[in-house]
Amino acid sequence: MQGTGVFQGDSDDLTALKAGDSDAWRVVLVRYGPSLLAYATRLLGDRASGEEITQDSLVNIYRTIDRFDGRCSLKSWLYRAVHNRAIDEIRRRKRYVDVGDTGLEDYFNGGGRWRHDCLGWDGLAAKQLDDKRLLGRVQEQMGRLPHAHREVLLLKEVEGLDSAEICAALEISPGNLRLRIHRARAALRAAVVEA
Amino acid sequence: MVYIKCRDVVAKISDIIDHEANLMTRMRFYGHIMMCKNCRRYFDQFKEVHALAGKVTADDLPPDFEQVMGAVMDEIEGHKDA
Ligand SMILES: [Zn+2]
Repeated sequence: MQGTGVFQGDSDDLTALKAGDSDAWRVVLVRYGPSLLAYATRLLGDRASGEEITQDSLVNIYRTIDRFDGRCSLKSWLYRAVHNRAIDEIRRRKRYVDVGDTGLEDYFNGGGRWRHDCLGWDGLAAKQLDDKRLLGRVQEQMGRLPHAHREVLLLKEVEGLDSAEICAALEISPGNLRLRIHRARAALRAAVVEA
Repeated sequence: MVYIKCRDVVAKISDIIDHEANLMTRMRFYGHIMMCKNCRRYFDQFKEVHALAGKVTADDLPPDFEQVMGAVMDEIEGHKDA
């Protein structure tokens, strides 16, 4: 079951969805449900909350599908709903981790050169590390990143949404997305390599 | 070729990785990377972590999604019947 496929016949299915056709809804849940659930779980950091938020969001989407105007894809709309609901929950629990100072500038002196040598492994050392352990470390550190970094990395690198879909889901501009993706990747690199 | 600073090289890495940098930027970038040990190391690390982030995928999909989706379907079907 793939959650990231293109929604085919969007407009036709949308008519069925708006009419409350349960078969059409089942198709949507099978297609996007697993990815939405994985996204919410990773963003919230625990499975029970991920399930609760995804379930709530999907029921809410079903009830408010009439408001969907088709200006973005249904996929983006679904991610937006789950995302907003998850972030609300994270803020409500006062667990939101703000980005703060990303520290990228700290690497460089006034002339734009490296202040100190770049820390961490060199290319060869990385190849010698156990791939599985390293992947576990990346996954773990991703789960600790500030939420603004985590959300773009999850959507871009893990869920594989394209830029337009992410911009629509997060309601941000392409320029803002580029900047946020770069900062998020830099933060992940620092967390994995320098920690 | 116009000199590019380490800070600007680091700022361009995502554009390079995502194939969104133009030819001139790519030439300056790789020209600098060849000459600068620190930027080269940073770039290697960045690429490695980026590649690994892309491998955090569907293999750990929640196993109980059937249950969650079932609950949503119950709601949808219940709503229709109501
Ligand atoms: Zn350099």
